[in-house]
Amino acid sequence: MDITGFLASLESSSLATGIRDSLYVFPLIESLHVVGLTMVFGTMLIVDLRLLGIASIRRPFTSITSDIMKWTWASFIWTAATGVLMFITNASVYYHNFFFRTKIVLLALAGINVLIFELTSGRTVHRWHKDAAAPLAGRTAAILSLLLWITIIVMGRWIGFTTSQSKAPLDRDINLDDLFTPPANESGSPK
Amino acid sequence: MMQQFAEWLSQTSLSVLIQTHNAWVIPTIQSIHIVAISVVLASVLMIDLRVLGWAGHDQTLRETANRFGPWLSRALLVLLVTGVLMVVGEPARELLSFSFCLKMFLVGVGTLIAAIFQITLKSNEHHWEQTLVKRRIVKSLAILTLLIWVSVVILGRLIAYDYVWGSWSLKPTA
Repeated sequence: MDITGFLASLESSSLATGIRDSLYVFPLIESLHVVGLTMVFGTMLIVDLRLLGIASIRRPFTSITSDIMKWTWASFIWTAATGVLMFITNASVYYHNFFFRTKIVLLALAGINVLIFELTSGRTVHRWHKDAAAPLAGRTAAILSLLLWITIIVMGRWIGFTTSQSKAPLDRDINLDDLFTPPANESGSPK
Repeated sequence: MMQQFAEWLSQTSLSVLIQTHNAWVIPTIQSIHIVAISVVLASVLMIDLRVLGWAGHDQTLRETANRFGPWLSRALLVLLVTGVLMVVGEPARELLSFSFCLKMFLVGVGTLIAAIFQITLKSNEHHWEQTLVKRRIVKSLAILTLLIWVSVVILGRLIAYDYVWGSWSLKPTA
């Protein structure tokens, strides 16, 4: 199956149809996506600031990660799951959206960044975990992580403004009657 | 009355300025707003986990509060500034929305709880460490606080979908 067919089959799946048919489910999923991503970014920020020697510097790096990383990973899975649910409702539009594509590439880079950290400074963590800041490789990974995730957040916000006509701030003159009575020619875009 | 205020606000020069550049100004402010709320959420999470005894075992309550308290208040300040800019830029979207009103109420409650915690901890650290932190009611309050801030995030996103509240929304229906 080619990609167009695959995207179409995602959009016509009963899960995607179910989300689209409700006026309430998509807004709820999107809200929960934001809860997840704020948890991911906020908790990672604590770790990154520790690597850079900016905050929590008197605590060993390893006690910070053992407190926090489980929350980061759980939030990441939560955010990815809600993201997939949003994606399937309008798969072909998201797939061709510049900001969505950029966001996915940046997410992949963020993953590679974690991997490189684990193979460099991560391997010697027992040698520096009590130091105020991580070695150069660790500090570089922290800077890259912050830049990547802030850009990912910005891209995510821009996806909302470029893929759906019902998103803020375009709803200023919205007519509620239009929302509650779907037009005869179903466009299939999320409300 | 709120509608008149929103109309007046939308005609101020700052509002007009934001409206003319809304294609990039609004998403940019929203992105900064999201980054700042992440700091709030993570800071509240870490303080609450410490109160619950689920994290920060090597830290005293005071150390935890000193680490995250200032970040929490600075992030709240950033949220206030970016939030005000969004209200000025799109008064009707925010002020007439039920999500927005409920969100502002919860932000008030959440900030009040955080302030009371910081002040009482400063004045009576011993009592907090020895007694309060072990009380069930305090632990429940920690969970409640986290839920309040999670609700703030959810309501913030729902401002864009205020129709979900039906007739509770103050937005004009036509």
